[in-house]
Amino acid sequence: MSAAWLLVPLYLVPLVSHNEVLLTILIFTYILGILAIGFNIVFGYAGQLTMFHGAAFGIGGYATFLILSKLGISFWLAMLPMFAVILLLSMLVGWVCFKFRLREFYFAVVTLAFAELIRLVVLNWNDVTNGTLGLLVLDKPTIWWPGRGLVKIDGTVPWYLLTLTVLCAVTVVSQLIVRSWIGRNFAAIRLNEELAQTLGINTFRYKMLAFTISNVFAALAGALFGFYSNYIEPAQLSITQSLDAIAMVLLGGMGSILGPVVGAFLLTGLPHVIEFSAELRAATYGAILILVILLMPRGVVGLFSRWRHVA
Amino acid sequence: MTQVILGQVLNGIIVGTLYGIIALGVTLTFGITGIVNFALGQFMMIGAYAAWHLTDVVHLPYPLSVALAVLIAGLAGFLSDRALFQFTRNNLVNGLLVSIGLISVIESGALLLYTATPKNMDFVLSGSWTLGAITISRMKVVTFAVLLAVIALTWLALANTWLGRATRAYAQNPEAAMLMGVKTEMLQVGVSVYSCALAGIGGALYAGIYSLEPSMGALFILKGVEAAILAGVGNLAGALVGGIILGITESIGALFLPTAFRDAYGLVFLVAILLFRPSGLFGGQK
Repeated sequence: MSAAWLLVPLYLVPLVSHNEVLLTILIFTYILGILAIGFNIVFGYAGQLTMFHGAAFGIGGYATFLILSKLGISFWLAMLPMFAVILLLSMLVGWVCFKFRLREFYFAVVTLAFAELIRLVVLNWNDVTNGTLGLLVLDKPTIWWPGRGLVKIDGTVPWYLLTLTVLCAVTVVSQLIVRSWIGRNFAAIRLNEELAQTLGINTFRYKMLAFTISNVFAALAGALFGFYSNYIEPAQLSITQSLDAIAMVLLGGMGSILGPVVGAFLLTGLPHVIEFSAELRAATYGAILILVILLMPRGVVGLFSRWRHVA
Repeated sequence: MTQVILGQVLNGIIVGTLYGIIALGVTLTFGITGIVNFALGQFMMIGAYAAWHLTDVVHLPYPLSVALAVLIAGLAGFLSDRALFQFTRNNLVNGLLVSIGLISVIESGALLLYTATPKNMDFVLSGSWTLGAITISRMKVVTFAVLLAVIALTWLALANTWLGRATRAYAQNPEAAMLMGVKTEMLQVGVSVYSCALAGIGGALYAGIYSLEPSMGALFILKGVEAAILAGVGNLAGALVGGIILGITESIGALFLPTAFRDAYGLVFLVAILLFRPSGLFGGQK
C-alpha cells in the first residue's frame, strides 16, 4: 500500500467541479505540500530543525527562471542546473553545520542565518534579481502531448494536473526513501544520535542527505510556485516561508508521508473559505495554528490512526 | 574618520541595548520555561504602540506612558501565558509554533487598530549633546541609560534576592529547586510575564526615537535571539553584552561595507562565533 494511491482520486476533482477558487487552492496546496514533505523528511524523520528550506524554495524559483531566460532553454531543462545550485548550497551549509556538530536550536539559528544571508543577496543584487520589485515570469512549462506536439501548460486545469502529478512523484520518492534503510538510519539519528553513531551509522552523511533532500524538494516546489503565480519576489525566500512549511507539517502530523499535504491544505484553504479581510485572514491563520498545536499535538493525521497505518 | 567610527560605535551601543533587552527576555524565558518566545518582538511592538497612543493621543506625560505601556505589555504577556504558553512548557517546537501563531494574531490586531502607516511620536526630548565632533541625541542617551539600569537591576535582583536565587536554581536543576520549596508554576508565569514587560519597556523607549510600524517586532526578535546565542543562552549579563556587540558589528560593518547588507554582518559574526565557541562567547549552560 502506498500513500500515493490516496492522492489518485484527486485527479477526478476537475471533472466534478469547475470552481476556480477550489482548484487554485488545491494547486497551492500541492505546491506547498511538496515543500512541506521535504521539511518533514529532514525534521519529522531525521529530527533536524532546519530553517533553510524557505531559502531553497525561493532559490528554486529565481534560479530556474534566470537560467531559463539567460540560456533560452525550457523549464524542465533549466531545472537541472538549478538543482545543481541547490546541491552545492546544501553541501556548503550542511557541511558547516554538521561538521561543527550544531544541534537543535543552534542548528536552527545557523541555518536561519544562512537563509537570511541568501535573502539579502537576492534582495540587493538588483541587476539580476530586480531587487524588491521581483521578476515577472511570462514563460510557462511545456509538455509533449501526442498529436499536438509541445503544449504550454497554462490555465487552471492543466496546472492542477501538473502539480498533482509532481506531488504524486514526490510522495512516491519520499516513501521509498523513508521505508528503506535510509529512513531507518534517519529515525536512529532522530531518536539517539550518539547511539546511532556507535551502531556504525555515519550520522554526518545521513544528516547531510536528509538536509539535501529537503532542499531539493523545496526548490522544486519553489520553481513550480514561481511559474504558476507568474511572479518571483524576495519574500518567497523569507523566514515566513520556512515557518509556514513547519506549521503545515506540525498541523498535518509529523512523521507521516501525507500529513504535511493535509496541513498544507488546511493552512492554504481555511483562511480563504472563511471570507475575511486580509488582516483577519492572517489572524485566522495564527489562531488555527495555535489551536491545532495545543489541541492536536500529533496533528490532524494523528487523529486518524488508521490513516497513519496506511501512510 | 576616527570620529565617524566613534559615532557609529555609540549608535551601535544604543541600538545594541535594545537588542540586549529582548535577548534578556529570550534567555530568561528559555532558561525557565524551556521555550523561545518568538512573539517577544510583538510584545515590544505592543509596548511601543501603547506608549505612542498614551503620549500622542491621550496626551499623558511620556514617562507615565512608558510605565503604563510596560504594564500593558506585562498584562498581555500574562494573558498569553495563561491562554497559550502554560501548555507548551519545555516543548521547544510547540512553543515556537504557538508563538508564531501569536505573531500573526498580534500583528493583525495592530494593523486593524493602527493601520500600516508608520507612526511618529512628537519629540518628547529634543536636542542633542555634542562631545567633540560627535553629536548624539538626548533621547538616545536617556533610552540607553534606562535600559542599562533595567538590565543591571534585573541582574542584581537575580544575584541577591531569594526570588533571584530560586530562578537561577530552577534554571540549573528544576527538580532540586522544586524540592527546596520553589513554587515552580508561579516562577514560570512570573518569568514569562517579566520577559514580556522587558520587551514592552524596550518598545516604549523605541517609540520615542524611531517611527513605528506593526511589522517592527520581527527584526528585534531575530536580533534578540542572535544576541542571546552570541552570548551563550542562559547568560544574563552576556545578553546585554551580546546585544551591544551585535549592534556595534552592524554599525561598523555598515560603515565600511555596503549598507544594504547591514543585517548580514551580525549574522556572519554569529555564525563564526558559534563555529568556534559552540556555547556562545561567555560559555553559559548548554
